Amino acid sequence: MRILVVEDERKTASFIRKALQTEGFAVDVCHAGDEGLAAVQTTPFDLLVLDIMLPGRDGLSVLSRMRELKLSTPVLLLSARGEVNERVAGLNAGADDYLPKPFELAELIARVRALTRRNGESKATVLRVADLRLDTLTRLARRGDTEIQLTAREYRLLEFLMRSAGRLCGRMMIIEKVWDYNFDPGTNLVDVYIRRLREKIDAGFEAKLLHTVRGAGYLLKAPP
Amino acid sequence: MTIRTRLTLWYAGILILSLLVMGVGTYQEISEQLRHEHRRRPEDHALDETGEMVFRVGLPAVALGLLGGWWLTRRALAPMAKLTAAVEKIHEHNLNTPLPRSGSGDELDRLTEVFNAMTARLDGSFHRIREFTLHASHELKTPLTILCGETETALRDESLSPEEHDRAVSQLDELRRLARIVDGLTLLAKADAGQIVLSREPLPLADLIRDNFADAQILAEPQDIQVELDACDAAQVWGDRHRLRQLLLNLTDNAVKYNRSQGRINMALRRLEGAVEYTITNTGPGIPPEILPRVFDRFFRGDTSHDQTVEGCGLGLSIAQWIVTAHQGTITVESPATGLTQVRVRLPLYPPPA
Repeated sequence: MRILVVEDERKTASFIRKALQTEGFAVDVCHAGDEGLAAVQTTPFDLLVLDIMLPGRDGLSVLSRMRELKLSTPVLLLSARGEVNERVAGLNAGADDYLPKPFELAELIARVRALTRRNGESKATVLRVADLRLDTLTRLARRGDTEIQLTAREYRLLEFLMRSAGRLCGRMMIIEKVWDYNFDPGTNLVDVYIRRLREKIDAGFEAKLLHTVRGAGYLLKAPP
Repeated sequence: MTIRTRLTLWYAGILILSLLVMGVGTYQEISEQLRHEHRRRPEDHALDETGEMVFRVGLPAVALGLLGGWWLTRRALAPMAKLTAAVEKIHEHNLNTPLPRSGSGDELDRLTEVFNAMTARLDGSFHRIREFTLHASHELKTPLTILCGETETALRDESLSPEEHDRAVSQLDELRRLARIVDGLTLLAKADAGQIVLSREPLPLADLIRDNFADAQILAEPQDIQVELDACDAAQVWGDRHRLRQLLLNLTDNAVKYNRSQGRINMALRRLEGAVEYTITNTGPGIPPEILPRVFDRFFRGDTSHDQTVEGCGLGLSIAQWIVTAHQGTITVESPATGLTQVRVRLPLYPPPA
């Protein structure tokens, strides 16, 4: 997997590169819009991490030009402005995801993982992680032989975690996908819901499925 | 023409009129006296005659003078009253609208001109402060991004000792708090500068309330706080879904944070005449009356003893107030000494009742 990071702020570009490399991605870095646009035209990247504020040609312009050229490389936009309108503008211009600065590194990695695996996402109606089953049609959850009662929100949270099974999910990502909030509510809403969900799916079972990665997010995975 | 000249001319007119009245009256009196001269002995009646003359002639002249003076002051002060009414309507958001000028070049017109120049300067200052806050909050984002990123990178280093790890986690927590403050500040700075456009639609408020009620129960659970939804009338508003959800969550978060454990939160959505009212009450220790008027102030933290225990960015209620005001609503907080602390939000119904 090869990723291009277009970010003019060198320190930011540097820690993004380090983090993605640690995750096993090959990472190229450009510091200007035109340079980035030239690079995506010559090299097949799997993902483009694109800052909006760039010297010369800005991120949104790079993105529109890419889409005009029928380059379908997935794009994750970064921006320090982080307003709803800008997010909408970015997604309309053909971005696949948008992350406002300052972001959490874990959040960035989680999104990069989601985007590079997007095509492989499960479309199944019955989701399984170890002996946990979730039927998305009847909205019934079972762990082994035990039926689990879920509220609407808990169901959406569990479905999201199961669809991203094995992948780290950042707090903001969960807030966006499960609550449909486009702002950081600054509460411990997610943590408390996770705790409740954990009581329902993990309490009383030997193998724990729902894990907290301190300072990073949550992870649902089958025991090794 | 200056007011002084105008007043002098008018008053001269009034005096001339009074003199004329006096002159005509005196003339008539004297000519009547002369006609009856042969029948009277002047030395007997001279005193009487003079008194009568003063009474018959002087009184109407005095009355005319008074009336004229009253009319004069009224005319002179009329533009002043207009100016006062116009000045009363000035607030921080319409400083750039100049007061209408008469164009006569008199003292009041000059005053209006100077006043307009002053509000323009004030407007410039306000504008610069807003710009400053906006730029400052924006400029803070890049170093914050780098700090957060580098701290997180450090945390991933497996060779960190447990102490170093704990220190990095604590730093990251503080950085995130800082990031939330900067976010809140950016939001308010943009709102002040009128840069935020609400995406409004007809919105059934009851759905949002029920959603929020479910979240509130979860948020309140760790402190064993009981949450109740007393009423949830169907009511539609013209609102921005995201902002209103943010408002409800902010208020719920406050009601949980400032509650006591095993306390209670009551929510209610009631449809009133032309408006919809949402109330949320909590059983917390309440807000002392002297700080109640300041709870919506930015970064205002009431009880200092709360600072250590309650986490938050100090902008929650300011943001809530902005959201309500942007929806043409009102928000108030009541906290009677013996009773429940209540936040009351009123939003106009949509469509407005005929």
